[in-house]
Amino acid sequence: MIAVLGAGNWGTTLADVLAENGDVVRLWTRTPAQRDEINARHTNEGAAPGLRLPDTVTATCDLGEAVRDAAIVLIVIPSQAFREVARALGEVLVPEQIVLHATKGLERESNARMTEILLEETCAKQIGVLSGPNLAPEIARHKPAGTVVASRFPHVIELARKALSCPRLMVFDGDDVIGVELAGALKNVVAIAAGIATEMAVGENAKSLVVTRGLAEITRLAVTMGASPLTFAGLAGIGDLMVTCASPISRNHRVGAALARGQKLPDILSGLGMVAEGVYAAVAARSLAQAHRVEAPLLDHVYRILHEGMGCDEALHELMTLPAGRDVSRFQSITA
Amino acid sequence: MLRARKSEDVHIEDEVVAREVDRVLGRAAGGGVGGKQRPLVEVINDTLYHERARLHHAADDARARADRAFHARVRHELPHASASRQTALVREMVERYVAEIAGHFDRRVYGFATRVLPYGLSGLMQGFSPRGLLNELRGSSRLDEHLLLEGEVKALQRLAKLGTVILVPTHSSNLDSLLIGYAIYRMGLPPFVYGAGINLFTNPLTSYFMHNLGAYTVDRSKTDPLYRDTLKQYATVSLELGQHNLFFPGGARSRSGELETRPKLGLLGAGLTAFRNNLLRGAESRARMFIVPCTISYPLVLEAASLAREFLEETGRSQYIVVNDEFSRIQRWVDFLRGIAALDLRVHVRIGRALDPFGDDVDEQGVSRDSRGREVDPRRYLLRDGRVFDDAARDAEYTRMLGTRITESYRRDNVAMPTSVLAFALLELLRRDVAQPDLFRLLRTIGPDTPLDVTRVEAEVEKLVAELRVLEHDGKIRLSDELRTTDGRDIVARGLRGLRTYHTTPIAVRRGTQLLVQDADLLFYYRNRLEGYGLLGAQRLYPAKVLS
Repeated sequence: MIAVLGAGNWGTTLADVLAENGDVVRLWTRTPAQRDEINARHTNEGAAPGLRLPDTVTATCDLGEAVRDAAIVLIVIPSQAFREVARALGEVLVPEQIVLHATKGLERESNARMTEILLEETCAKQIGVLSGPNLAPEIARHKPAGTVVASRFPHVIELARKALSCPRLMVFDGDDVIGVELAGALKNVVAIAAGIATEMAVGENAKSLVVTRGLAEITRLAVTMGASPLTFAGLAGIGDLMVTCASPISRNHRVGAALARGQKLPDILSGLGMVAEGVYAAVAARSLAQAHRVEAPLLDHVYRILHEGMGCDEALHELMTLPAGRDVSRFQSITA
Repeated sequence: MLRARKSEDVHIEDEVVAREVDRVLGRAAGGGVGGKQRPLVEVINDTLYHERARLHHAADDARARADRAFHARVRHELPHASASRQTALVREMVERYVAEIAGHFDRRVYGFATRVLPYGLSGLMQGFSPRGLLNELRGSSRLDEHLLLEGEVKALQRLAKLGTVILVPTHSSNLDSLLIGYAIYRMGLPPFVYGAGINLFTNPLTSYFMHNLGAYTVDRSKTDPLYRDTLKQYATVSLELGQHNLFFPGGARSRSGELETRPKLGLLGAGLTAFRNNLLRGAESRARMFIVPCTISYPLVLEAASLAREFLEETGRSQYIVVNDEFSRIQRWVDFLRGIAALDLRVHVRIGRALDPFGDDVDEQGVSRDSRGREVDPRRYLLRDGRVFDDAARDAEYTRMLGTRITESYRRDNVAMPTSVLAFALLELLRRDVAQPDLFRLLRTIGPDTPLDVTRVEAEVEKLVAELRVLEHDGKIRLSDELRTTDGRDIVARGLRGLRTYHTTPIAVRRGTQLLVQDADLLFYYRNRLEGYGLLGAQRLYPAKVLS
């Protein structure tokens, strides 16, 4: 039995994968209407249009019922609501249960990673993170994809792999939890930059420059925070960055494009009607870069465009006239 | 596992030998947990290889000669040895190791030694000859006056009755084990066993106490994995039998002067292994295991000079050469203890909050609590499909978490003192003046007679103490009583008295309106005790080693 907390697009899709793989899945949602729809019609049209869930997926609004006796608890909750759910989870979880999360983002203000929140709010220790280039609608339509599960506990990876591996999803493993979490959160800032570059029609060379330097900056920042640089060459790093920066339907990409058209952030966000993680991640990236004394001009300029009203042309000009340093630095991982 | 009769009948040495041999045989048969199959011949050859390398550099004493003779015999026999003969050879090797490890342990004299200790050390403080130390039991200046025992003492006393305690102190000096031995005695706790470096047994000043404080022997020059495993086995078995243990998780003394950031997890994991083993064989009553961090904060450190040089030598690969250790020189002891007595300085031994083998807090009733204070049953972390499950990789990770909690505890219970505060402020001012990012170049520009304006130093010290006070308020560090004042002049004066007193070269002295810094390395050493708190906006001076 596996509990999936959060019946959004990705949570519902993962429930589908798990159930198709033979597990009984309890899907937790806050919304009674969603629960009733899943239980009565086996669909979740609002979150995952067109998806028909197997009968072995049942929904509940009772967290205790969802989690009871589950071997794995998989959390797929937006980063800003994560702590609240984790705190409630802490009341019902027992130490032998394994907790995975598939949330890309950092908590506002504290910049906490999701596994840090789990350790603070629950008794869970055997925890892991799922991340990678995973557009949920594609996986829901049975298109092939790869993902990475990172945990310091081999048993967590073993269970996650058994539960998730199937012809449409390859599950790779890793032990760099910090790197995978930071890559998932910070790449959204680069995606906004890529959206800006696309809309400005500065050319493919420039777009590649933005994405590559963005990757270098988020890698450098994450490495000072304890990540392994190699993680950023993997699915959670360059893999996720490729999908986010290339796909014009990504929310962060759309925010960037709108900024390049001269729209103001509040208007863009109200037009979007949903959260673009990169907008917050830019704030986190800036404060983390300052705290860890890491130079990250691209991330910094995205922040200034988003939150200080800097013009995109001005930002581009400033960035292009900065002294260029070494292309690829030799990262010294502090955990080495 | 434990071929136990009643616990009192189990001789720890026999049990360690039996288990270690079982473990090696298990691996030879391919049944080991998490490891590859390893034939006995390979184990024996590995020992011969490592021991030959060690003995190549070892002094030619009776012990070394006996070892060489034994190895020659094994080497001679091995090519013709049958399987059962190979087993016998492994057993013999393990027995020799265990004999050395356990050779000095004698519980009967423990009580006597701790009674002697406070008088003995105070005798030294008055300049008695070390030879007379053991006979001279009189003395007016008691160790108690210079050793403050603080923190969760009551909780520790209680937990020692409820279960098995592993005390894990910070490690700055070889004096640590003596002080901890005495502190244990003063808290009225039963003996703790611990592994002391073999050098402590050969040092005439300490060998007496070492033999009798419940110490077993650790020879760090032995790199043979079989030896290392036997040591760990020894600690594990003693814990399973309910004997309290003392580990220094830093392994060796901190050479930078900084608090440990990277505990050695191998030995630390013995607590969890013992906990699991006791559960697996149904000895639930003996299973409770409490890990108690403890900081020892010195205003002056006996071996500071050689530790600092050793650190800089290794880190910088520069011209620093290791000098012989103060610990083996009687005059340094006398000077040190006199300095402590003359300045009326205090060493703080601070007992931290107890942890379980998984790194969760343990309250005074011995109940584990998660980070939100909810009761947790630690056994459940070992369950798989409802049963206690043996998983070495999982347990290593739990132990890593425990290690992180221990280092956090060290940081909180570190007691800041005027010597470190002054050293930190001085080095920070010098660093700003010199603007040299490279640590070694920076240190080379300092001293002798590097001047700093005293009012500037006082202002910097006041700023630093203000920052420390905020940290203390948030429970992130402790301040010694000398730092209660807000008067920078007073703190600088106290710091200077410390920094100029014991070390052969005064670290800094005052001349008129200036402070003259004399010894950059020692300044660096004492300031490092406050490294990692982000004080005065200072960057780290050298890369941190964090848990991997």
